[in-house]
Amino acid sequence: MQIEDVKKLASLARINMSEEEMDEIVKDFKPVLEYVDQIQEISGEESKENKDGGYYFIKNITREDEVENNDIEMNKDILANVPQTEDRFIKVKQIL
Amino acid sequence: MIDLNNLTIERAHELLKNKELTVRELVNFYLENIKSKNERINAYLEIFDDIEEGIKQAELIFSQGKDTLLTGIPIAIKDNILINGHIASASSLMLGNYKATYDSFVTKKLKEEGAIFIGRTNMDEFAMGSSTETSAFGVTRNPLDESRVPGGSSGGSAAAVAGDMALISLGTETCGSVRQPAAFTGLVGFKPSYGTVSRFGIISMGSSLDQVGPMARTVRDVEIIFNSIAKHDKKDSTSIPDEKRILENKIFRKKIGVPREFLNGGGVDKKVLDNFNENCEILKKAGYEIVDIDLPILKYSLSVYYIIMPAEVSSNLARYDGIRYGLSEDAPNLLEVYTKSRGIGFGKEVRRRILLGTYILSHGYHDAYYNKAITVRKMIKDAIYKSFEEVDAFITPSVPFLPFKLGEKFNNPMSMYLSDIYSAPANLADVPAIAIPAGKDENGLPFSLQITAPFLREDILFQIGKDFEKQQKDN
Repeated sequence: MQIEDVKKLASLARINMSEEEMDEIVKDFKPVLEYVDQIQEISGEESKENKDGGYYFIKNITREDEVENNDIEMNKDILANVPQTEDRFIKVKQIL
Repeated sequence: MIDLNNLTIERAHELLKNKELTVRELVNFYLENIKSKNERINAYLEIFDDIEEGIKQAELIFSQGKDTLLTGIPIAIKDNILINGHIASASSLMLGNYKATYDSFVTKKLKEEGAIFIGRTNMDEFAMGSSTETSAFGVTRNPLDESRVPGGSSGGSAAAVAGDMALISLGTETCGSVRQPAAFTGLVGFKPSYGTVSRFGIISMGSSLDQVGPMARTVRDVEIIFNSIAKHDKKDSTSIPDEKRILENKIFRKKIGVPREFLNGGGVDKKVLDNFNENCEILKKAGYEIVDIDLPILKYSLSVYYIIMPAEVSSNLARYDGIRYGLSEDAPNLLEVYTKSRGIGFGKEVRRRILLGTYILSHGYHDAYYNKAITVRKMIKDAIYKSFEEVDAFITPSVPFLPFKLGEKFNNPMSMYLSDIYSAPANLADVPAIAIPAGKDENGLPFSLQITAPFLREDILFQIGKDFEKQQKDN
C-alpha cells in the first residue's frame, strides 16, 4: 500500500487527514494486512451444516411506515442535538 | 459498621431488605470512593446529577414490596449505552455533546427494577481499543496497579467496580471488550450469546459481533444482571424471541475441552500458561474431566475479526456526518463539512479502522478479504459447534498476558490487537463466554480463566464458573 492509496481511502471515507498521518497509516497497515493475510492459507469449502449460519432466529422485520409515537418533547430533544436547524427542520448546505 | 468493600448483589440485597443498610448509605459508600479515587483512576467521565431520583425510586419500590435483587444496586454504565437525557459520547469528540433522547433497552430494564445509575464510564473511543487509551477524554488507570491499563474497551466500567466505585457495571463487546478488562482488573466479565441482549440504544461498532455484557465480582452477580436484561426486544432485529431461548435436551457431562494448539500459538506469557494449567487441576478437583481438543482453525480467528470488524466499522460510522447530530465543523460546502467534521471528530484509532474497512470493502479487495473472511468465520463457527458434540465447554486463558503498562502498546497497533486473540472465537461464533478471576501473580496482577459454551448455554458457563470459584476457595 502506498500513500496514494491512503489518500484515495481517506477521500472515500470522507475524512480530512494530514499527509503525515497518511504516512503513518501506510506503516501501521503493513503488519496488520500481513497478519490478516493468514486466512489466504485456507482453501477448505465451508460445510453444509447450519446453512443459515445458525441465524435461524433472525428474520427481516418490516412494518408500515406509520407514526407510532408523536412525542413532541422527544422531537424537541432530537432537534436539540442537530448542529443547524431552521424551525423544525435540519439545515443542510446547498448541494446543487 | 458493615464492611461494604467487595459486596455482592445478593449480600447488598439482604442488607437492604433487612434494613441493616439504606439505599442512600449504599450509594454514598460508592460516591465517597469516587470522590477520593476517580480523579486519578478516571473510571467515570461523569457522575450523574439525578442519582437522588434513583434513590427515591428504589426506596419506593422497596416500600411497595416490589423489589428485585437489583433494586437499589449502584451500577456504572459504559459511555456508549444510551440513558435518556444523559450524554452518551462513546468517549469521542464526535459525540462529546450528544444527549440521548431515549433509553436503551438494557437501561430501561434496569430502571424498571430500580437499579441506580451512578455515572457513565470511560472507554476506548467508539469501543475501538484494548486499553482505554484511545478515549478522547484521557486514559483510565487500573485500580490494582495505577501504572497499568485496566484493559478495554470497557476499561472504565471495569475500573469502577474494581475500585469499589460501583457494585456492578455494564460494558459492551465486539471482541473481548468486557472479558479482557474484567480479566485485567480481577473481575468476572461475561459476553452472552449473540441475540440474547438487545442492542437497541447501543452505539454500534461491528453489528454482527456487538453484544452488551455485565461485569461484577462473582459469577452469580453477572448471572443476576444477565437474567434481568436478556429478554426479547422487537426493536433489535437480531433479538431472539423468548420462546426460542428455551432448549430441550440440555446435555451436561462435566467434560471440558482444551484447544491446546491454539493456546500455544498466540505468543502466550509463560506465567499465564502455568496458571492456566493450575486452573485445569482445580476444575479436575471440582469433578470435571479435562480433555485436549483439536480446533486448528481457531488460530485464524483474530485475522477474520480484523477483516470483518473494520468493514462493519467503516459502514456503521458513516452515519457521523456533522449534519444530524454530533460534532459539526463549518465549511464552504457540504463535502468539506463531512471531511472536516469527521477529520476532527474521530480520533486516530477510529480513523485508522475506518480506512482499513474502506480498503477491505473496496473494489478488487472485497473478495480476497471480506468474502473470504465471511467463509472462514462460518468454518470457525462450524468447528466450534462440532467440538461441543464432545465437550460441554472449552477453556483458555482470557488474555495471553497480564495487564500491561500505560503506553506500552499504544504505538504498536498490532501488538495491542493481539490481546484479543482468545476473545475472538466467541464473538465470531456467536457463543457465550465468561472470564473468571483465577488468582494473582507475585505482584498482585490478576490471572483469568475463560470458559466458552454452546450457543444459548449460558447455564453451563454459570455452573462451571461457580464450581471453579468454590473449588478455588476450598483449595
